[in-house]
Amino acid sequence: MAWIAERRRRSRFESVVLPHLDAGYALARWLTRNDADAADVVQEACLRAFRYFDSYREGDAKSWLLKIVRRSCYDWLERNRPSDLVPLETADAASSGTPLPSTVDTEQLLQSRSELRRLDRLIEELPPPLREALVLRELQELDYRQIAEVTGVPIGTVMSRLHRARSALRRAWDGKECR
Amino acid sequence: MQCEEVRPRLDAYVDGEVTEAERAELRDHLAGCADCGPEAAALQRLRDDIRRTVPAYRAPAILRSQIRFALRREAATGAPVAFHDPGWLAYAASMLLAVAVGSGGTFLALGERQEDRVASEVIDSHLRSLLGTNLTDVASSDQHTVKPWFAGRSDVSPPAVDLSAEGFPLVGGRLDVIAGKPVPALVYKRRQHVISVYVLPAGTVDLGETLTRRGYNLRHWDDGDLGFWAITDASPSELADFEHLFRAATRG
Repeated sequence: MAWIAERRRRSRFESVVLPHLDAGYALARWLTRNDADAADVVQEACLRAFRYFDSYREGDAKSWLLKIVRRSCYDWLERNRPSDLVPLETADAASSGTPLPSTVDTEQLLQSRSELRRLDRLIEELPPPLREALVLRELQELDYRQIAEVTGVPIGTVMSRLHRARSALRRAWDGKECR
Repeated sequence: MQCEEVRPRLDAYVDGEVTEAERAELRDHLAGCADCGPEAAALQRLRDDIRRTVPAYRAPAILRSQIRFALRREAATGAPVAFHDPGWLAYAASMLLAVAVGSGGTFLALGERQEDRVASEVIDSHLRSLLGTNLTDVASSDQHTVKPWFAGRSDVSPPAVDLSAEGFPLVGGRLDVIAGKPVPALVYKRRQHVISVYVLPAGTVDLGETLTRRGYNLRHWDDGDLGFWAITDASPSELADFEHLFRAATRG
């Protein structure tokens, strides 16, 4: 009775994974910066997740889905907007023209966008690795271990990315708020 | 603690990623330090600004139904059928483990399995309430409405307290079935997050920590003859705050 097994698999997928669809969509929306693209990527990611569902073991379904959504986002960006995917260090150097320490450069990148008066726009200007760490922490409220799991980097890297993202935002944002 | 030790830990501090002991030391330092205190406050302010001002993106309803449709099509035509259901394997593995612990450890193994079963049922029940339309059976922020509603409907009378002032408003109550019995659930909100608190007779092990299962955070504590299971997708540190406030308010 193959179809019964298949139907059970699908209904289990829907009850375990789909409750995290909003989280998946939000991550895709922040990474693609566009509603229509986010919807396409999330649909693709869900089908991918369904195919790999046998590899899911009882555990953190939210992180599991976010990891697949993130992978799909990067694949999509590679195909459609490769310019968004400049490696972190290059992005920093390019914005300043000189090879200064990377923290300073990300901050300068944001400060150069002085017309940006909205925090969400400033976040969208962060390089994707910093942006995703910040969004997963502040908006999805994942802990460091989960962010490390989703983004595939060590916890130490998560910490330094969060720190860099916040320093950059604070320089650009606090300036406007206080003065 | 010196400023040089404090600075690199500030992000982890505001993220709730330090141990209880470290947290207390850092708090003491921040309270007395004219440099580090404002620095931590600024980080906290940035977080508040982000959460207050940036859009909370949610999957559009149309996308949700498109995905369900695509899954049905995929399931009907696509991938070969997998005969091994991972859920079943995990269950079988847990039974093997219970047997392997042997007779000396039987009590322990049974205790853990009971605990695990309640934990899974609590998660399932919380998820069902979020998916459906039945978040509350009695919708009220008034404890004098919520508490009496449960009288005669379940064995235990849950202490319903409103924690609006502390940022956890009571939104109502609901009757769910856990381990085959009707169990009262109190429903709270934390910003856009829902917290369900299931109230069972006490008697299971006090976990004293937050478990994370399937992306949801779960805390269990006993108070007098009642056992409480709180579950939410809000952060573990917020859930810990909630437990603290709830216990203080229900004792008072």
